[in-house]
Amino acid sequence: MNMTTDRFTVPAEEYLAETSTLFYLTDAVTQLLEHREEFIQFGIVRYFAEYFTSVKNGNHVLFREFSYVKGTAHNRASFVHIFWKCFRQIGKNRDLLTMMEYTSLLQLLCPDFPAEMVQNTAKIVLMEDAMDCPMSLSDFIYSFQIQFYYEEFLESVLVIYEDLLEGKNPNAVIVPTSTSAETISSEEMDTQEGVDSSVLLECLEGLCERFKHKHPPLSAMKEALESSTRVSYYGFLMALSKHEGISLEIGALPNRSDLLIDPEMDQELERLVAQVAISPTSNSSGSAQGLKEPCRKPSPRKSLHQRKRIEMESDGSTEETDSSEN
Amino acid sequence: MAEKRRSGVTADPKSAKAESDEEFLSQAGVGALLRAALLKLVEARPEDPIGFLAEHFTNEASETESGGGGDGGDGDGGRDGEGKYQDALEEQQLNKALWHLSLAHHSQRSAFNNNIRVAYDLLSECGAVRHAPGGVQGRLYTEMLRCVCGDSGLSETTAAPLLHRLQCHDYEAVPFELFRQAVMTCAAFSDYLHRARCLYAAVACSPDRHAERELCETVLNALREALDTSHGSDATRYLEASAKISPAELARAMAKTQGASREQEGPSMDMREFEDAAAALFIARVRVIN
Repeated sequence: MNMTTDRFTVPAEEYLAETSTLFYLTDAVTQLLEHREEFIQFGIVRYFAEYFTSVKNGNHVLFREFSYVKGTAHNRASFVHIFWKCFRQIGKNRDLLTMMEYTSLLQLLCPDFPAEMVQNTAKIVLMEDAMDCPMSLSDFIYSFQIQFYYEEFLESVLVIYEDLLEGKNPNAVIVPTSTSAETISSEEMDTQEGVDSSVLLECLEGLCERFKHKHPPLSAMKEALESSTRVSYYGFLMALSKHEGISLEIGALPNRSDLLIDPEMDQELERLVAQVAISPTSNSSGSAQGLKEPCRKPSPRKSLHQRKRIEMESDGSTEETDSSEN
Repeated sequence: MAEKRRSGVTADPKSAKAESDEEFLSQAGVGALLRAALLKLVEARPEDPIGFLAEHFTNEASETESGGGGDGGDGDGGRDGEGKYQDALEEQQLNKALWHLSLAHHSQRSAFNNNIRVAYDLLSECGAVRHAPGGVQGRLYTEMLRCVCGDSGLSETTAAPLLHRLQCHDYEAVPFELFRQAVMTCAAFSDYLHRARCLYAAVACSPDRHAERELCETVLNALREALDTSHGSDATRYLEASAKISPAELARAMAKTQGASREQEGPSMDMREFEDAAAALFIARVRVIN
């Protein structure tokens, strides 16, 4: 949501587009039109106030469609944050989950969340090997963050990487007399996998210019590539996901060491559990289930979404009654 | 598509679904609402536009809601209740004004001026209900300046001498130009003090040691001279003043002082004293309003 260029010198249209303001305004009006009866009672101004407050607080992406969730950088970061908040407990219990299970969890928060994104994340965690292997939450979530937040950039990196593997250097100038150098590099290719880190870095520098600021900080990528002379695509992504600076830049997750620590949330959870235990209406089986269930943030959107689904499902029948009435 | 989905709603069959999207939006006043919000947004160009819109719509909503329910308290509360309502309104307007002032840095002159205008209009609305016509009440104005200083991190004791010069009597009505000057002065003052602190840190070399008194005095003298540049047109004055406190010039003056007293370690000056001295230089140049 922040602008790198001076916000006072660009035209107004650019300011609105760069800061995603138009994206949110459009969505707010679309939502308003879809649920007009409800929001008219609620108050239109109050509706806009609530909408933008929830965008500001980052809980606006809960239960929304995937195209919205990935629509802006802020939405992506908010989604990663919500995912962490909701399923932190899994990491605390040291449970390992498979790709399929993570997909299901993501789809609880975003019904049409594509399995492909999870698959790509698993490739980073498992280095494209033994894809049905269970993963820990912390391994998964940092890789997921990189994959989801920088999706487009990583796709372009893959294209460059594959070109480099084939011996094509998009940045290199072809010199006809350099046969000796070529033979050396092809010999190296046979013995080692991946590509030369410094060549990849060079190509990334060019790529970053095209992506403006929708890429990991160049200095961080440099650090990730410095550790070895050759690097594979997933090795590089793994290094990015372990880089604390990038995670800090995205701002959705705490440090790896603090990932499972959240005393405030634990207290809240304990309070809820105690309430359930005290409450006379709850039977024993109910409270046991309450303990196992991951803590979910209450959201006004939830009920709204459920209502929407009911509406959609009952679409056909009510339409018929409507037309018969008229 | 959208038509179909809407017809699925089981509410009143004769309600909104008959009208088109455009009709609904114009009837509900959404167009006007968004136009006003966008105008304000583009005018202020805040760093966080989403936060701005959240705040803006929340303000608007509480205004329309309190506007509708505000008359209810008049019946039994009488004068006292009305007074309380007034105070609440004032506080609300004051907070809104302060929020607008915080949106842009004062170096973004046109945006900042705009925001001052908005703040001024907000505060004079309060005055119109009570007794001061044509301007912001002196009491509100003084209160606002105090908040501006507090919000920008100035301690009360540091800000007090400046506020003393700027404040008006409670019953006076403050015209816009005066209001603008005062807000600018407060903003510039807090920036100035921030830089003075940086200057002190540079003179002190290490953060856990006090700076040498002689060096501090040299720097403060240079600062005074720069501020005293008063002849010529604005442009030449600015150039001359900035030449006088350029890093090279300061370094030369400091080297001269240090050369004279190289042998023994002289007395020191703490940050507080330096800050107060620098603040006094600034405040001495602020005209007293009353």
